[in-house]
Amino acid sequence: MKLRHLSVVISLSLLLPHLAAAQTGYPMVMSLKPTALQVGTASEIEFHTRYSMFGAYQVLVDGEGVSGEVLHPEQKDGETPSLTKMKVRFTADAAALPGVRDVKIATPQGISTVGQLVIVQDPVVYETAKNNTRDQATELPIPATACGVIEANEDVDYFKFHVEAATELNFHVRCSRLQDRIHDMQQHADPMLTIRNAMGGTVAASDNHFFGDPFLSVTFDRAGDYFLEIRDVRYHGNQYWEYSVEVTNRPFVSNIYPMGLPIGQETSIELVGTSLPENPQSKVILPADTSAGPVWEQLTFNDAVTNPVAAFATTLPVTLESDADNTTPAGSQQVAVPAGINGRISEDSDVDCFRFEAKKGEKYTFEVRARRYHSSLDPYLRIISLDGKQLSENDDLRDFKRSFADSRIENWIVPADGEYAIEIRDMHLRGGGSFVYFIEATKAEPHFQLYADTDKTLLAPSSNGVVFVQVERKNGFTGDVQLHIEGLPEGVEAVCGRILPDKGRDGCIILRAAPDAKRSVGNVRISGTSSWKPTDDAEPLELEAVASVYQEMYQPGGGRGHWPVLSHTVSVGALQDVRTVKLSDQDIILKPGESKKIEVTIERAEGFDKNVSLDMRFFHLSEFCNTFPPGVTFDESKSSKLITGKNLTGHVVITAAADAAPVDRQLIPVTANVSLNFVMKTTFAADPLWISVAPSTE
Amino acid sequence: MKRSFCNLTLFLAITVSTTLATANAAEPFVVAPAEIRLTGNFERVQLVITQADESGKTSDRSADLTSEATFSTTEPSVVAVDEHGQLLAVGNGETKLTIKVGSESVEKLVVVSGIEQHPTSEFVRDIAPILTKAGCNMGACHATQHGQGGFKLSVFGFEPEADRDAIMRDRHQRRANMVAPEQSLFLLKPTMTVPHGGGKRLAPKSVEHQTLVNWLQNGAPAPKKEPAIVTALSVYPKQRVGKQGLSQQIRVEATYADGTIRDVTALALFDSMDEAMLDVSDTGFVRTHGQGQASVMVRFEGQAGIAMFVVPYDNSVELAGWQNNNFVDELAEKKFRELGIEPSPLCDDATFVRRAFLDATGTLPTIEQTAAFHAKTTPNKREQLIDELLGMTGNPLLDIHNDNYAAWWTLKWSDLIRNTSNGGGQEQAMWSMHNWLKEAFRTNRTFDKVVRELVTAKGSTYSNGPANYFRIFGNTTDLTESTAQLFLGVRLECAKCHHHPFEKYGQDDYYAFSAFFSRVGTKRSEEFGLFGNESVVIVKTSGEASNPRTRKRMEPTPLEGEPTDHPLDRRIALADWLTAKDNGYFTRSIVNRYMGYLLGRGLVEPVDDLRSTNPPTNPELMDALAKHFAESGFDLKQLIRVIMTSRLYQLDSQPTEQNVLDQRFYSHFHVKRLPAEPLLDAIDQVTGSPTKFKNLPQGTRATELPDAEYPNYFLNTFAKPRRASVCECERSPDENLVQALHTLNGDTLTTKLADKNGRIARLINEKKSPEEIIQELYQAALCRPPSDAELKVSIDYAKESTTPQEGYEDLLWSLMNSKYFLFVH
Repeated sequence: MKLRHLSVVISLSLLLPHLAAAQTGYPMVMSLKPTALQVGTASEIEFHTRYSMFGAYQVLVDGEGVSGEVLHPEQKDGETPSLTKMKVRFTADAAALPGVRDVKIATPQGISTVGQLVIVQDPVVYETAKNNTRDQATELPIPATACGVIEANEDVDYFKFHVEAATELNFHVRCSRLQDRIHDMQQHADPMLTIRNAMGGTVAASDNHFFGDPFLSVTFDRAGDYFLEIRDVRYHGNQYWEYSVEVTNRPFVSNIYPMGLPIGQETSIELVGTSLPENPQSKVILPADTSAGPVWEQLTFNDAVTNPVAAFATTLPVTLESDADNTTPAGSQQVAVPAGINGRISEDSDVDCFRFEAKKGEKYTFEVRARRYHSSLDPYLRIISLDGKQLSENDDLRDFKRSFADSRIENWIVPADGEYAIEIRDMHLRGGGSFVYFIEATKAEPHFQLYADTDKTLLAPSSNGVVFVQVERKNGFTGDVQLHIEGLPEGVEAVCGRILPDKGRDGCIILRAAPDAKRSVGNVRISGTSSWKPTDDAEPLELEAVASVYQEMYQPGGGRGHWPVLSHTVSVGALQDVRTVKLSDQDIILKPGESKKIEVTIERAEGFDKNVSLDMRFFHLSEFCNTFPPGVTFDESKSSKLITGKNLTGHVVITAAADAAPVDRQLIPVTANVSLNFVMKTTFAADPLWISVAPSTE
Repeated sequence: MKRSFCNLTLFLAITVSTTLATANAAEPFVVAPAEIRLTGNFERVQLVITQADESGKTSDRSADLTSEATFSTTEPSVVAVDEHGQLLAVGNGETKLTIKVGSESVEKLVVVSGIEQHPTSEFVRDIAPILTKAGCNMGACHATQHGQGGFKLSVFGFEPEADRDAIMRDRHQRRANMVAPEQSLFLLKPTMTVPHGGGKRLAPKSVEHQTLVNWLQNGAPAPKKEPAIVTALSVYPKQRVGKQGLSQQIRVEATYADGTIRDVTALALFDSMDEAMLDVSDTGFVRTHGQGQASVMVRFEGQAGIAMFVVPYDNSVELAGWQNNNFVDELAEKKFRELGIEPSPLCDDATFVRRAFLDATGTLPTIEQTAAFHAKTTPNKREQLIDELLGMTGNPLLDIHNDNYAAWWTLKWSDLIRNTSNGGGQEQAMWSMHNWLKEAFRTNRTFDKVVRELVTAKGSTYSNGPANYFRIFGNTTDLTESTAQLFLGVRLECAKCHHHPFEKYGQDDYYAFSAFFSRVGTKRSEEFGLFGNESVVIVKTSGEASNPRTRKRMEPTPLEGEPTDHPLDRRIALADWLTAKDNGYFTRSIVNRYMGYLLGRGLVEPVDDLRSTNPPTNPELMDALAKHFAESGFDLKQLIRVIMTSRLYQLDSQPTEQNVLDQRFYSHFHVKRLPAEPLLDAIDQVTGSPTKFKNLPQGTRATELPDAEYPNYFLNTFAKPRRASVCECERSPDENLVQALHTLNGDTLTTKLADKNGRIARLINEKKSPEEIIQELYQAALCRPPSDAELKVSIDYAKESTTPQEGYEDLLWSLMNSKYFLFVH
């Protein structure tokens, strides 16, 4: 190590005594015990993690009304414990919205993966140590939230409760769903709930209701003691399979009808669920500043507020399905597009049709919002002529790398002037009160959607990180997209790249923490803008999109999967194994057919001698992001990518093809990667590298 | 018009009634057919002569005189007649036929028409039946995969064009000699004029031979594009009742699609369905040599029928002490009287309580449960016990067996529906189906609803249990054949490739039925997370089924029904038909299964092979149970209840000297080996040493196992099905040597008997007296106390043993190896 560098490290250590010695890790939240917290209370919850969470300093909780404080364990002098269990004292305001919250923990090794905390209305009762038989059942005063863990194969947990005659109770389990966002949970629980009488006889049972989680509404005719039995349906177990079962005698609202709510207008709604009287009605008004999109609403009913229920806020003019027979295109209900259509597949084999007028060449997009918002409906959407001929259809839609049961017909081009019908039914011909839907019928306008891969960036003072962003172009949009990032922690700067036009798909943002950046963390907003002319003589369209964030998931077999989460978090933590990555040149201009070599020098932490691999794309088994301009490639065969042992240098070679088109200063990430395991790696970025391709002189 | 099975039943009933013919007052016997007309060359008519009573009437008890009769005609140039009463058209005209039996004689007019000097023969109508009758197109002969000697025919002649080509064109036309047709290899071989591996199949100069020669002489015309199709077969007589040794000539008429009726006795195939009771010749002459009830199966050109023969065991029976508990007993009584069978008396309470528990719940009663039953003094305590076992009392404190009931019948139907995890890869899906079935039985969901939910199932294989029906039967073939066998008792698989040999179903029927499933598909889903691997069953908007031979697109059509469809999901139309109250195939197939489960033998055996050629032993009981099942709203508990509360179910298993030969009419309870799972549970319960199953918590009973295969030697030895087939036969009810050796010498019983926490160890630890211990061991294993003699011998044996533990282990070992333990009596 050169003396100059050594002095920098020493001085930084002095400046930032809280930053621990370099130790590459991957703070991974596996479960929270208990997984539920009652509103209006504070409680200690234990985080179970992989990799040490030692030094954790901040808790990030999605939404409002819930906060957490890391409770530091007692530490013996001079020891750095491996902390895979840590406690957080959570506080939930009395007005905190019940439901599931994403939780992350900031550590010196970066922000953790997502864990999930359930905010509930009733007291939490955690299972007693031995409750695997009915005679050892945990006592459960009702209403309550029973919590526990299906910790091992063949584990069966029992809770005992007492009811009076003619009592109706709702049992709402959350377990499987809480594991969707756990980074490395390759087998999810599939809980099964059984209610037994005092003799052990089955009163009711449920396996899957809300996806993998059970729900039961049971009327107890006879007073007496009963048992709540919960297990994995396969009798599998896992130390991280925490569950919560909300047991209440209050109404449980699963849906509202209509579920598409106009912003700023009062809407009369019907409550759908259990323990409700006939035709339960309420009213709701979304504040005028509500953003269009999914909302969770607690409704007033019988002088009380209900559990939160999913709805969709819209700025579209809203139409409600009429009572008239609309099962055929001929008898369909007239709507004016653009419109938001609220409807319900009210009975088995029901079909709803809505007709609209359109002119040849017009383009429309129809999107059903149902299953994503807890509707029972698996919609099947068709556009048909009034004589029933199918013109377009869709069952499941796909966004980025994930598919959803909802339907979307995008950019449908009207074949001739006339009337057409939107037809919707359940794919499985079911129907009922909870089969509500909201169709957004809009003119198809060019736009784009952005996706951030992944959900967190770790920085250390003086180090760089990279955020990769991908675009999906819609309805003819071909422009370039300038990326932006907001909400960065103090001391962090960003150099935002762009996504090239036409077939350009990927872009990146290089983040840099100042040498004096302090330990900090923040959720950022990643967006993109484009000023794009559909035609040369058209006025430019000013387009903007906020990136959806996908976390990376550990796939069975070692692949990289993706799952949507709420936010991307940037943190400044401890100095890492690779302190800096320096390039010999940061702004290169290539002529067509020309190659250039850039020396890469890394600065290793003291004692860090593991291999470091260089890359210029986001690659793991296959390529995930590549920001190179067309015709320009990372010439791996001529590069020296692997920096072994205590070596500090390598080089990368970039080649422009003979027919490479001119491009001006495209931002390319040069990354130094340290493997954590077969899938995961810590990525350190170099300073920004700008690549231009000069026009051909031939 | 949709032809229902009910109507078919009615038709059969009418047909039977018409067999009760009336002779002219002066005539001592009745000649069938009443009018004798032969039309066309080579046509034959079989006469059947039946003795009439004093009033000139016949019944199913009337003797057949055909073999005793002599026949003569005044005009041999018009008709020829042989000694068996078979007429052959010779020339156009009329003649008198004289039939003599003893000193009595009857004259009949015979009219012959349509005789031509140069007749023509049609391949499908005239040639194919000869090949079939001669056995040429049997699977074992020229209809094997590659034929015999290079000569390949289609199975049972269901591809006439190909068969004609094989005769006329194949092998450079070497089989047909058009210059000298009689010298055709095709004729020289079966007449053994030249060597023939299949032996002599055709008599030279026989009517069949002449017909074939004639066909060749006329240039061997190809099958007509719309050949004469047989639409019905009429067998005379339908039923015959008589004494051992009775004989009967059968005559067979075929009805063609154009309405023509033709005597095809000479061309029909006859098979005895119970060779221990009767034989039948190639010409349809039947002779009984046993007692009971058996049928002759008659086949001709894709149609089949039967003639039933009943030979009572006794002329009259008293049925002393017999009391009808319900309609099951009424119809059983009728059958007993018809067959002259004296049923065994009722079983004792100890036998009943054990039988009822095992049959209704697959569970051995505990000592306390047995004692509670014995302690009851109410006259209807058996009925009360059945209601408790079935969870029908409405009182949760009494309906404590409902979960066991649900587990037992879930096991039964999981076997049939073949629910497996495929080695663990589909565990969630397997559990989903298992839990759905269990819920259905626990809540006594009506069976029509269960079947409807299965055959129309859609959605997630994890969340919607019945959707796994389409995971398990993952293609149209499996769905078609399994659905037919499971819920109609029809084995349709033969008809996939050729016309069913014993049924009326052909390829069109098969593929029209399969069309109901032609639009089923699957899609992936991520609703169970990124790694959920959930599959979702969907109905596509397109997809058809075609007959692969004719390439004709088949409309979805129920068996023997009219095409039917549903605009969104054609399976809904199938479910409507399948579960209709008047679908006798559905109701009969289910009640027959349950008769088989409870009484050890179905009214039809095998219980999942219902067809016109395999009639029930008691058709009236079958129909009555089916009607009751439909009228109850397809309530399985009611069905089980009506069977179990019948006296028939509660008969002793010990046969009497009089009924010992009966194995089919329920005169005594059919002793059944305990199936693998209840037997292992019973051993666990008696020894107090539960078995631990892989991936299931301690305390899970074998009857609660959800999956097909477990690494358990005992279960595998005792034939727990691997769920590879929907056939009931996969669970073999038969005992074998390996099973006997395992209970005698295997480690399962030995280990459990010696379990330190087991029953014997507990009894010794509790310092019970030898008498108390022996009493408990008998009660636990056999549901009865030991007799005084048994008690004394047991006490003495225990005293003489090296240790008391060893003595009691030996005693319990012997009890559990006794037939009384291993079987349901």
